[in-house]
Amino acid sequence: MSDTTVKMRDIAKDLLDKGTVDYIIGWEKGRFSNQSPPAFITSAAHVGRLIWDEYCLAGTAKYLLDDKFPTGKIGIFARGCDARAINRLIQDGQINRENIYIVGICCSGMKDPATGNTAEKCQYCTHPNPIVNDILLGDPVPETNKPERFKAIEELERLSPDEKYEYWSKQFEKCIRCYACRNVCPACNCRECFVDQYRVGWQGKQNNEDENRLFGLTRVYHIADRCIECGECARACPMGLPLMELNRKLIKDINKLFGPYEASMDTETTPPLAKYNLEDIEEFM
Amino acid sequence: MKTIAKSRINEVLDILAKESKVLVPMKVNGVSKYTPWGSEGRIALEEVNTLLPPKDTLFPQTEKMYSYKMANQEITELNIHDDSAPQIIFGVRPCDMQSIKCMDDVFLTKSFVDDFYKNKREKLTTICIGCSRVAPTCFCDSMGVDPGRHEAADVQMYDLGNSYGIEAQTEAGQALLNKLQGLIQEQAGELTAVSCTLKVDTSGISDKLAKMFEHPIWKEVSRKCIGCGTCTYLCPTCYCFDMEIKNNGNEGYRFRCWDSCMFSEYSRMAGGHNPRPSKNERIRNRFLHKLEFFNERYGKNLCVGCGRCLSKCPVNVDITLFIDKIKEVAVDEPV
Amino acid sequence: MDVIEEQKWEPKILAFCCNWCSYSGADLAGLNRMKYPENIRILRVPCSARVNPQYILRAFQKGADGVLVAGCHPGDCHYSTGNYYTRRRFLIMKRLLEYSGIDPRRFQARWVSGAEAEKFRTTVTKLCEDIKAIGPNRKLRGLK
Repeated sequence: MSDTTVKMRDIAKDLLDKGTVDYIIGWEKGRFSNQSPPAFITSAAHVGRLIWDEYCLAGTAKYLLDDKFPTGKIGIFARGCDARAINRLIQDGQINRENIYIVGICCSGMKDPATGNTAEKCQYCTHPNPIVNDILLGDPVPETNKPERFKAIEELERLSPDEKYEYWSKQFEKCIRCYACRNVCPACNCRECFVDQYRVGWQGKQNNEDENRLFGLTRVYHIADRCIECGECARACPMGLPLMELNRKLIKDINKLFGPYEASMDTETTPPLAKYNLEDIEEFM
Repeated sequence: MKTIAKSRINEVLDILAKESKVLVPMKVNGVSKYTPWGSEGRIALEEVNTLLPPKDTLFPQTEKMYSYKMANQEITELNIHDDSAPQIIFGVRPCDMQSIKCMDDVFLTKSFVDDFYKNKREKLTTICIGCSRVAPTCFCDSMGVDPGRHEAADVQMYDLGNSYGIEAQTEAGQALLNKLQGLIQEQAGELTAVSCTLKVDTSGISDKLAKMFEHPIWKEVSRKCIGCGTCTYLCPTCYCFDMEIKNNGNEGYRFRCWDSCMFSEYSRMAGGHNPRPSKNERIRNRFLHKLEFFNERYGKNLCVGCGRCLSKCPVNVDITLFIDKIKEVAVDEPV
Repeated sequence: MDVIEEQKWEPKILAFCCNWCSYSGADLAGLNRMKYPENIRILRVPCSARVNPQYILRAFQKGADGVLVAGCHPGDCHYSTGNYYTRRRFLIMKRLLEYSGIDPRRFQARWVSGAEAEKFRTTVTKLCEDIKAIGPNRKLRGLK
């Protein structure tokens, strides 16, 4: 991995020296060895902060929304999930491809800082190689389909309605409505989120199981066909809610009902819920 | 000193629970928090600290203030809520005890007394257990807190290995100990002092920060923040709240709920103007509040060094790294 | 709930009906003096695609025991394509509701045209009977 770190620093220095980018978003070490949070390098003198190791979990793409109309270009280091996130933002009309310079890094998976084992979000990763980039560091990593990522969903589906309700009640009771899941999610990019429109009655500010469930289910439905399965929501949640079990349920249903589909593999394909087919399954007759 | 065997803690809690609600650190669905003794879950006294702070006891995340019923545009019923009841909080760590002192300053002093807080505070008895080990993220002793004990607790307990040392520090604490007479023994006990591995130097930081309102360092520190409320809601001292009405036709209630200054719409005003439009201003507000404004007003830091924020922040925004940086930076020169 | 309360309980069912087809169908049922249960509260929307899936969740929270979304037959939408989107949306939403533990019989989506007064009557009557059999909805009910 340290080989990639050297390459990262070299290319960042090159891009900043030549003025190709105004600043570049990557990762640096936090205080502890199991922390590699996002870093913003604004000058070639600081590229020594950049690091690539097995704790570079945080997504970098969402920060592009902080600078939608940059004066120059923004450099960004992107793994497989980050590249799909960038596509997501481009397709949702939030950023322009011309404003960013993507340095792709092929990622073989990150570790969970608490346990040291492979992070859950990386266990089910289907596209570790960045599908969009201006330059690629490193060699592609083998990609596998990973149908086992729906196993937990299938097990939950087999429970009775009351058991399912009990399961989700326990989870939503834990939610503290910090909105970390929404803020890290690349698909959650509305300028005004429905929870911030609370006077209209969409979402109450009370923290109880029902309002939490309303927030959780509504958010998951809002991103349904646009979720890129990066798993950042579940990673960011301080209470450990299994949010990917909700997102993957919708993805599984969308795949089954409307044909195989993966969000953000390009910026052209319309997501399934934004279009229709005359031959769709008919259950409502 | 007086001690209680660790193996008899359940009996202690049973006795105390006869007359009031007893809140103990318990692991519920994977999250450790202060839970009423007797509910489902596993008691978690061996953990360094709970994930959720004890402020919920005195300042609930959602609290009904008053409820009303109307008929023909006239109010027919108006109830101001007071659901305070005697409570004992067992197993508070010294850092969290310090946070209770900070909240007392906010809600009980300086010309306005918050009745909702006061009613609960008067009926709360605190039992502090000093720390015998620290987490890598703890830095309480750099923030003026003694990890071994806190003088504001009603009862102070010490972890002695197989037993807890116990001593009353107030009258309320003594009354509590009187109830536990049968379980208290006299034993020689050695207190081992413990100190945090993470150290940070806060000397002079308030004065330095007071001159740094327009400093460019805020842009650098705030860039990676994602603007969620994790730090705020896990922080034992954060106390900002919002008030809302829930109306169902002819009846409803007003409630207050936690709010976070990290949310972008926290300071948005009617008309749309927002004096803290970007993360820059919001992070500046947060750190200045913790380390400067509160110090100016109440004479103590609003950060107690519990380390919850820096361990759970999704992007590792770290107040200790921030303090280190402030120490190095020259006030007049840019970063 | 004690026995007397249970005997008096009547389900509350919220029906979102699109203005052009299902609402007209309901209207026609009324004109023809067809009896259908009074438990149905009809909410007229311009098109079934207007129904935000979040309304279903809110309806259960605010006291509904059952929810029906009725629209035009595919191909007959007054706005040409609205109900195609409705179809996709509610195929997904129905499964999500089921996955979170709501009894699937509580939420129905149906195509009822302006001439199908009889279909409207049978749909709502059956829905009402099903929900009477299941009992009042206690889930998603914490909102007070």
